[in-house]
Amino acid sequence: MEEKINREKYKTLGYNVLTLFLFLAIWTLAYWLIKSPFFPSPLMVFNAFLELLIHGDIEDVKLGMHIQQSLWRIFGGFAAACILGIPLGLLMGLYGRVYDSTKVLIEPIRFIPPVAWIPLVIVLLVGYFRFVFIIWLGAFFPIFIGTLLSVRGVNPLHIEVPKSFGASRFYIIRNIVLPSVLPEVLTSMRVGLGIAWECIMAAEMIGGERVGIGIMILKYAQLIRMDAIIVGIIVIGIIGFGLNEIFIFVEKRIFRWKEVVSI
Amino acid sequence: MSGRKVKIEVRDLCKCFGDLEVLNHMNFDIYEGEFLCVVGPTGCGKTTFCNVVTRLLPLTQGAITMGGEEIDFKKHNVSFVFQEPSCIPWRTVWDDIKIGLQIKGVNKTEVRRRVNAIIELTGLTGFEHFYPSQISASMKQRVAIARAFVTEPDLLLMDEPFGQLDTRTRFSIENQLIEIWQKTKRTIIFVTHNLEEAVYLSERILVCTQKPTGIKEEVLVDLPHPRDITDPKFVEIRNRVTDLVKWWE
Ligand SMILES: Nc1ncnc2c1ncn2[C@@H]1O[C@H](COP(=O)(O)OP(=O)(O)OP(=O)(O)O)[C@@H](O)[C@H]1O
Ligand SMILES: [Mg+2]
Repeated sequence: MEEKINREKYKTLGYNVLTLFLFLAIWTLAYWLIKSPFFPSPLMVFNAFLELLIHGDIEDVKLGMHIQQSLWRIFGGFAAACILGIPLGLLMGLYGRVYDSTKVLIEPIRFIPPVAWIPLVIVLLVGYFRFVFIIWLGAFFPIFIGTLLSVRGVNPLHIEVPKSFGASRFYIIRNIVLPSVLPEVLTSMRVGLGIAWECIMAAEMIGGERVGIGIMILKYAQLIRMDAIIVGIIVIGIIGFGLNEIFIFVEKRIFRWKEVVSI
Repeated sequence: MSGRKVKIEVRDLCKCFGDLEVLNHMNFDIYEGEFLCVVGPTGCGKTTFCNVVTRLLPLTQGAITMGGEEIDFKKHNVSFVFQEPSCIPWRTVWDDIKIGLQIKGVNKTEVRRRVNAIIELTGLTGFEHFYPSQISASMKQRVAIARAFVTEPDLLLMDEPFGQLDTRTRFSIENQLIEIWQKTKRTIIFVTHNLEEAVYLSERILVCTQKPTGIKEEVLVDLPHPRDITDPKFVEIRNRVTDLVKWWE
C-alpha cells in the first residue's frame, strides 16, 4: 500500500518534469524560428537570472533583495488583513445583526478594486505603508467575507448536539464553530494571499521605490531587456506557487479528518 | 398507567411554521421511567415534536413542563439521538462520544470508564481513533447512540435512531436498549416508522394523525420483556397498531 502510493508520487513527479522539459523545448524551438531580439531563449533568461542573482540589477540591487523586499511588504499587508479580517468575520458571522447593520458600508467598499485606491494612496502614504495598505485592501475582503460566510455555513446539527447537552455559548464557539470554520478560513487566506501577490505587483509598478520585484521588472521594461523581465515574471510565478503549496501542506496536516483538500 | 408519576406534561401544544400547522392542540403526559414510542405518517411532525419538547424549537402555543418546570438543558439531563447523521467530522469516535460528559464537567477517570463501557456495548471497539469519514453509516449512527447513552440521561429522545442499522445490529442494540432501560429506568421517547419495533420496545405507543397532527390513539403494550415477535398477543397488538395507522390508504 505504502509502496504503491510512493510509486504514484514518483510517477506524478516524472510527468511534471516531462512537462517542464517539453515546455523548454518548445520555447527553444520558437526562439530558433522567430529569431527576434525581443524573444530571448531559455538559456538567455537563465543567464540573466544568474546575472541578477550574483551581480544585481542596473542599480546593483541583487535579485534576493528584490524578492525579500516584496515578501516583506506582502507579509505586512497580509498579516494586517488576517488580524483584522478573521476576528471581524467571526464576529459578524456570529452576530448577523452587526453585518446587516453595516452592510451599506462594507459591500460597496468590497467592490472597489484595490488598484483603484492606488492614486489616493500615492498621495497619502509613502514607503512601506503605501504597499502594506494596498495589499491589506486586496487581501482583507476575501479573508473577511470567507470567514463570515463560513460561520454562517456551520451545520446547525453540529451546534444542536452540544446545545442538547447544555453547552454554553462559549463552549459551542470554541469547540464547534472554530474548528468547523477553520478549513474555510485557511482557504480564504490562500485566496487572499493570491490577491495580495497581484496587488504588490500593481503597487510596485507604480514606481517610487528602488527595490521590489515589480520595480525590477519596470526598470528592465524601460530598457526593453526581455530576458530580465521574464526572469522577474518567472520568479513571481514560482514564489506564488511556493506560498500556495505551503498553505496546502499546512491544511493537509491540520485537517486529517477531511477526506480531500481542495486545490 | 394511572398511579405512575407524571414526568412531562404536554398541554394544548401547537406548533406552526408560518401558515403551516404542524402540531395541533396536543395533550398528553409522559410518565417517569416510561418507554414511549411515537409513530405516525412521514412529515406529520415527529421530529418537530422532539425539537419542541426539548426547546430546540420555540413552540407556538401551549406548554411543556418537566417536573413543573420548563425543560432546560443546563438543568435537566437530556440526550438526543438525531434523525440525521450528527457525528462531528473533526472529532474521533472517542472524542465525539465523550462530548456530553465533557460539557457536563465529569472527571477524567469517570469519562474514560463510561466511554470505554459504551464503546464496547455499541460494538465500536477498535475504532476509537477513527474519524467519521472513515467509518460506515451504521457505525456513525452507533456513535450518535453511544453519545446519547453515555451521559445516563433522565430523558432520552431518539428520533428514528435505528434506520441505518443492519438487522442484526438493530436487534442487538434494541435488546441492549431494553436492558439499559430496565436497569436504569430512564424516560425514553422513541420515534419510529417501524411498527414492529414500536411494539417490541415500548410500554405505550402514541399513534399520530396526518397534519395538522393530533394523537389518534394511545396503545398500551403490557407484555413482559423479552418479547417474542411470534407470540399471538404480540401479533394482535401489532395488527391493531397497523390498523390504526394505515397511512397508505
Ligand atoms: N424549519 C422548518 N420550517 C418550515 N417547515 C418545517 C420546518 N421543519 C419541519 N417543517 C415541516 O413540518 C412538517 C413536519 O416535519 P417533521 O420533520 O417534523 O416530520 P417527521 O414526522 O419527522 O417526518 P419523517 O418521518 O419523514 O422524519 C413537514 O411538513 C415539514 O415540511
Ligand atoms: Mg423526522
